[in-house]
Amino acid sequence: MMVGIFDVAFPLVSLVTFSLLTIPVFRLIRKTTHKTAAALVWFAIVFAVVFFAVANLALRYYALPSPQPFISLSLSDTALSWLSSVFMIDGISVYMALMFTAVCAVTLLYSVFYINPKERPSERYYAVMLLLTAAVVGAVFSGDLLTMFIFWEAAAAGSSFLMLYRKNRTSLNSTLKYIVMIVIASAFIVFGLSLVFGITGTLNFWAVKEALIALSDKSLLILAFIFIAAGYAIESAIVPFHFWLPDAYAAAPSSTSAFLSAVIDQGSYYVLIRVLVYILAPTAVLDWTLMLAVMAAFTMIVGNLFALIQNNVKMLIGNICVADVGYNLVAITSLTSDGLRGNLYFFLIGGVTTALAFMAVGIINHYGFKSLQDFSGIGRKMPLSSLALLMAALSFAGMPPFGGFIAKYMVFTSAIEAKLAWLAVIGVVMSVIQVAYLFRLVNYMYGKKPADETRIKEPVKLLIPVFILAGAIIIFGLFPQIVLNLIEPVIRQLPFIP
Amino acid sequence: MLYSLLLVFLLPALGVPFVYFGGKKSSKLAAAIVALIALINIALVLTTVPTILTSPERRYMEEYAWIPVLNSHFTLFVDGISASIAIITLVLIVAAACFSVKYMEGKKNLPVYYVLLSLLSIGLVGVFITSNLLLFYFCWELMLLPAYFIIGSWGYREAYRAAFKFFIFTHAGAVFVLLGIGAIYMVTGATDMFAAQTALLSVPDLAKWIIIALTAGFAVKMAIVPLHMWLPDAHSEAPATMSALLSGVIISAGAYAILRLSLGAVFPAVAGTDFGVTFLHGLAVFGVISAFFGAFIALVETDIKRIIAYSSIAHMGYILFGLSLYPSEPLVGGALALTTAITGTVFHILTHAVSKGLLFLSAGAVMHQTEQRDIREMGGLSGKMPFTTASAVISGLSIAGSPPFACFISEFLIFVGAFDIIRTNAFYLIPTVFMLIATVFSLAYSLRFVYRIFISAAKTEPAPSVDEKHKIVDVPNSMKLALLILVIFVVLLGVYPTFFINLINTVGFI
Repeated sequence: MMVGIFDVAFPLVSLVTFSLLTIPVFRLIRKTTHKTAAALVWFAIVFAVVFFAVANLALRYYALPSPQPFISLSLSDTALSWLSSVFMIDGISVYMALMFTAVCAVTLLYSVFYINPKERPSERYYAVMLLLTAAVVGAVFSGDLLTMFIFWEAAAAGSSFLMLYRKNRTSLNSTLKYIVMIVIASAFIVFGLSLVFGITGTLNFWAVKEALIALSDKSLLILAFIFIAAGYAIESAIVPFHFWLPDAYAAAPSSTSAFLSAVIDQGSYYVLIRVLVYILAPTAVLDWTLMLAVMAAFTMIVGNLFALIQNNVKMLIGNICVADVGYNLVAITSLTSDGLRGNLYFFLIGGVTTALAFMAVGIINHYGFKSLQDFSGIGRKMPLSSLALLMAALSFAGMPPFGGFIAKYMVFTSAIEAKLAWLAVIGVVMSVIQVAYLFRLVNYMYGKKPADETRIKEPVKLLIPVFILAGAIIIFGLFPQIVLNLIEPVIRQLPFIP
Repeated sequence: MLYSLLLVFLLPALGVPFVYFGGKKSSKLAAAIVALIALINIALVLTTVPTILTSPERRYMEEYAWIPVLNSHFTLFVDGISASIAIITLVLIVAAACFSVKYMEGKKNLPVYYVLLSLLSIGLVGVFITSNLLLFYFCWELMLLPAYFIIGSWGYREAYRAAFKFFIFTHAGAVFVLLGIGAIYMVTGATDMFAAQTALLSVPDLAKWIIIALTAGFAVKMAIVPLHMWLPDAHSEAPATMSALLSGVIISAGAYAILRLSLGAVFPAVAGTDFGVTFLHGLAVFGVISAFFGAFIALVETDIKRIIAYSSIAHMGYILFGLSLYPSEPLVGGALALTTAITGTVFHILTHAVSKGLLFLSAGAVMHQTEQRDIREMGGLSGKMPFTTASAVISGLSIAGSPPFACFISEFLIFVGAFDIIRTNAFYLIPTVFMLIATVFSLAYSLRFVYRIFISAAKTEPAPSVDEKHKIVDVPNSMKLALLILVIFVVLLGVYPTFFINLINTVGFI
């Protein structure tokens, strides 16, 4: 079996087509009596096709003989091929695509119950969600810097539609903040990319890398690197460019926050890895490890300390997202195979855990409980939602048997292996602080007396996707080998990493 | 038997739905299932004993695939030390389950309580029966969560506060353990503690840091002064069954881990160096400080459970002192070097577990029947609660180290071992003398405890009009059964220690 252009385009095209079809289909759905059921049937069809497409690609890719990792599928072979878009599939793209579509399916299931399908703009919400997934998958499949930039910016800027859904003052405010940051970031990136193009004369990942290795004078490259790194640092909310993230995630509807944290946020780390590890490969091209290590330390410290002082639970989880960026950076910085394994594993676990936390908080917020004090005794009032939030908190805290433990273990050990023990120590100390504020939340949930003891009837439908994710973090925590097997080809394709 | 250890691991997890739905019917049924699972597990551990006694490497192993990428296998093993501690742990679980039926009666959410008790036994027993470092840490943290929720939800007064303190302290300790384990894996590529022992021999410089990180982390769990702050609150606010398990086994798991990992796996790399000697001397000093600190406060404390809690700190001092008598010369091969003192220390883990478990359950019985916890207001209970009095006296005397009860034998062995070492290393003379003085204090607080609660004249005479319902009577039968199980073990380990001592001694080769 070979991988052809059709196999690669199939997931992308199907996602885009279904996204466009969603709006007319919902016209029909509105006329039926069981609107939610009809919406579910439609999305079942959508994801049956999308999963088939992605599974087809994954199976074909993994069936390939091993030492032939990269498949570059150029759209044209003419003289202008250096300008044309190039698709490229390697281990990391397949892994990320699998992850994104799976998480998107679960969050969409949640949204169908959370964003009422009877509401007018709901179909646009779902359509944008599918389109954003398509954009992220496109970014993951792209083989040159320009294609990746276009797809990725589409995803990043498009997210603002999901944030804006509620159209109230706070959401407008934070969305505006987000858009301004994204625009600044893309300006930086475009400028950096134009410098790279000027230096190397190409934008194809491998050609750029080869050209840069051969480069003797690196002063211009350093300038380009600063711009690109700053741009992507804004988009993945690395301290000190992180201020937009907690606000944006807290103001958005919870289904949006879940989707953004699990898909867009993880997508931004993917872009970061692709640019830093694959193209600006350290020591051969540019040695950025120390700079990134310092940023990782600050991101962990700032994210966790800001979470420590939060009183709004959703803001608290938003700040954990920032802290998670720091843990991811530790793994990227270490540049060892274990670090990269841990990093890719962290993508999945971190995304799923934050999505789980946002979903559970979304259910609880729905009844008007927002601050830590409101959460008093919620464990007795809403036992199932609280259990889900508890599981997310334990996974964040890195407690076995949840996935967060193995993720953190791999990240910290890789830092030790890379002789960055100080970074591991900072990470571990911050992890203790994280446990402290998460258990303060748990203490409120289970230890304090609620204002009134009445039990709230929990929405069972919303809890189904929540517990799918909760089950996933336990299964991946107990049997991390399931995920690690998918990651193995990625590691084998990076021979320059010890 | 094939798969016995895997079953020990899985049975409590598989039993969870039965326990939960059984608990919805009656808590008696749930307790019976928890106790039954623990009894089956005891039997399963016992089936491995013949292998331990006869196999050339003196241990029984099972290995399953787990995370090959991280070089981690699901390795379960028992040797003499693990098997004996695991058996005693399970005995305590049985006693706790029996005790809970009446003790917890009328509390909310009891099915969840029994589920947590069952889950606690996974982590608790798992720590003792695995040789894979990652799995060890897995179990190490796994026992925290059920303990946290049991203390918080069913404890006394500000229970969640105490549980929070317990969780944060022990977790902060655990992350240092994680750093140590991570460093071992990264430097040597080994995740098995026996493989790590040989692999670490080539990196003595790093081994120093690893041994410090590991020991500091384990010392938090052991509540060694000055890392003890969490213990008095957690032990005194927890329900009596949880206190019995906390004091009996959970803190002793720290001692086991120091023996198995710090001394067994890492210490050979630094043995024979100045650092190794200083390290052992440091353990001795902290042991003496803990023993005195705990004993002094137990002498003046007036809260019935805080007295026992501080006595636990004192006893962890003894155990740490015992561990400090580990031979400091480099040894060739083998997992652990067992001298008289180390055998005594391991045996003290067992005897302390049953004695302290019994003492906490007796105190719980007193609190349950009298609804008081200040010993100044108690007295004269011996006539009203003869059975509880007997069990408290037996456990108190055992804690004090008087023959023929369990702790006497183990303390005796530790001191014999200490005198043995003094002949070659004069440093130990002063700590040993101090430890001997500390035993006098432990006798003093045990006698004070028993005297004030049971023997001295009653402080408040009940008004004659008090109806039958409020009259203080002895505990119901199921609680008596729980006390009886532990009484049997306290006496049995005191008069016939041979079985466990022989089992422990299979580990060593000296």
